[in-house]
Amino acid sequence: MSYLELLKLAAPEATVAVTALAVLAVGLIRWGETPSNRRSSAFCSAVAGLGLAAAVGAVVMLPQSATLFGGMLVITPLTSLFKIICLALAFFTVVLARTDLSSRNRGEYLALVLLATIGLMLLVGSEELLMIFIGLELTGLSLYVMTAFDKTDIRSAEAGLKYFLFGSTASAFTLFGLSLIYGMSGTTGLAVIAQKLSAQPISPLLFAGIVMTLVGFAFKIAAAPFHLWAPDAYQGAPVPSAAFIASGSKVASFVVLGKIVLVGFGPDKGSAAWHAMISGWAPVLAVLAALSILIGNLVALAQSNVRRLLAYSAVAHAGYTLLGLVAGGRDGFSATLFYTTVYAFTLVGAFGVVALVRRETGGDDLINFAGLRARSPLLAGCMSIFMLSLAGLPPLAGFFGKFYLFIAALRAGENHGLLWLVALALLGSLVSLYYYLIVLKVIFVDEPAQHETSLPRRNVGEGGDFLQRVSLSVPGPLVAHIIASLP
Amino acid sequence: MVTLGHYLIVSGILFAIGFAGVMLRRSLIIIFMSLELMLNAANLSLVAFSRFHVQPSGVPDYNAQVFVFFIITVGAAEVAVGLAIIVALFRARQTTHVEDINTLKF
Repeated sequence: MSYLELLKLAAPEATVAVTALAVLAVGLIRWGETPSNRRSSAFCSAVAGLGLAAAVGAVVMLPQSATLFGGMLVITPLTSLFKIICLALAFFTVVLARTDLSSRNRGEYLALVLLATIGLMLLVGSEELLMIFIGLELTGLSLYVMTAFDKTDIRSAEAGLKYFLFGSTASAFTLFGLSLIYGMSGTTGLAVIAQKLSAQPISPLLFAGIVMTLVGFAFKIAAAPFHLWAPDAYQGAPVPSAAFIASGSKVASFVVLGKIVLVGFGPDKGSAAWHAMISGWAPVLAVLAALSILIGNLVALAQSNVRRLLAYSAVAHAGYTLLGLVAGGRDGFSATLFYTTVYAFTLVGAFGVVALVRRETGGDDLINFAGLRARSPLLAGCMSIFMLSLAGLPPLAGFFGKFYLFIAALRAGENHGLLWLVALALLGSLVSLYYYLIVLKVIFVDEPAQHETSLPRRNVGEGGDFLQRVSLSVPGPLVAHIIASLP
Repeated sequence: MVTLGHYLIVSGILFAIGFAGVMLRRSLIIIFMSLELMLNAANLSLVAFSRFHVQPSGVPDYNAQVFVFFIITVGAAEVAVGLAIIVALFRARQTTHVEDINTLKF
């Protein structure tokens, strides 16, 4: 293995890293005498966008499959697909940052987005505990700073601090869990761990290690009861940061969580069927899923801020998505991947609408959305598609995602053992329809407050073409891609 | 004779002390120190496992010790980011007590 070969296989990550440094440098350039930040920040966004496009090109050029250093860097069609998805989500975040953020320090902000993206790509493309830990931390540390980035908003630093404290505690748990798993198996590669674990019965120390590892990931995907940071981070952070936390970080975390439990801990699955509980990770994930669906949906009913509402609904969606992992197997994993991808793109779109409404009216409470239909039919239309897809109504992608998940869960347990979880998820979806429809009711029925109508409207339509691109593509090709690329 | 079990008990106690500190203390700086304690508990258990996990050739498994160096580096980065956020918060609020940080709530 020569360095040249290594560079070839890690080209996408290297491209993004170089772009991050370039963006940082471009952000420092002074353009003439006047501090015309606008031009400099536009240039930064352009460089970041080009770098991300180049990285997608580099991913496409990767070989079909390769494994480096015992799984530290794994290249399969699946990892390539998800690297492209992460890059696309980062691209949308860059676009969002253009519409939302003030142009101060744009270069630094975009560099952080790119660094977080490298973390996501490492997470997606690794089957080794050390690299997974480093990917988690690289993503986490960049996202903490992105959350606290808006110095003019007092809530931003607070949201960043809460996210940071919860995140560091969770990653300490994961780390301790990983150290116990290393101790039990004597190796850090997931495939070898599975071999070693299948040779021994599940011991208390090993079980502690598995549970502690799962705690850290439950934090990352915002599953209850480790979701407490999510509402504050979603509400207090700058909108692009919130969108990236909700989409990119979540997709990569689900991919790596799926790899860890299905590949690494595969032998210790146990069973979550109600008539035959066997200890292992499946019952732990099942309990997390049930709690998330309950807490997320019920608390979302009481929210009056759209971003907070999206955060609690994100908790509920994490619960649905875990269903696929509890079911396990090829079906379950592909359902999880499909659902989390669809969800991520939908949520980026929803946050795009929130960003534009926020720029126009200065807030993101439900009141600020009143009468959006009259002000901008395009945005109102986009938002209704996103909301209905999140609720899971039939013609939209969200419905197919839920459908695959529930079918996978029903088929998995012998004798329909997971029926209790599926029934709970169906009930949760019903409840969720209520609060999504409340948002639509405010947009389409309520009269706007008086002072808002006098504000200029010119900016609202600007992001429309971006949102339409995000708005729901046909689910068929994506699910076919995911299933075809599974090992 | 100090066995693997002794090391694991110490690291477990360290981790518990750190977690208790994070949950119970009210000063951000102390919470911060407790976080580092939790990381170091993981370091200790990794090094202990590495030392006692002797390969057939007679040398310990050095993978985990490399892991520990990475954790130390990441810990330093975490401190830098965390202190920066605390400073940003202190400029806005003039406080480092968690009870006073309550703008965002349910």
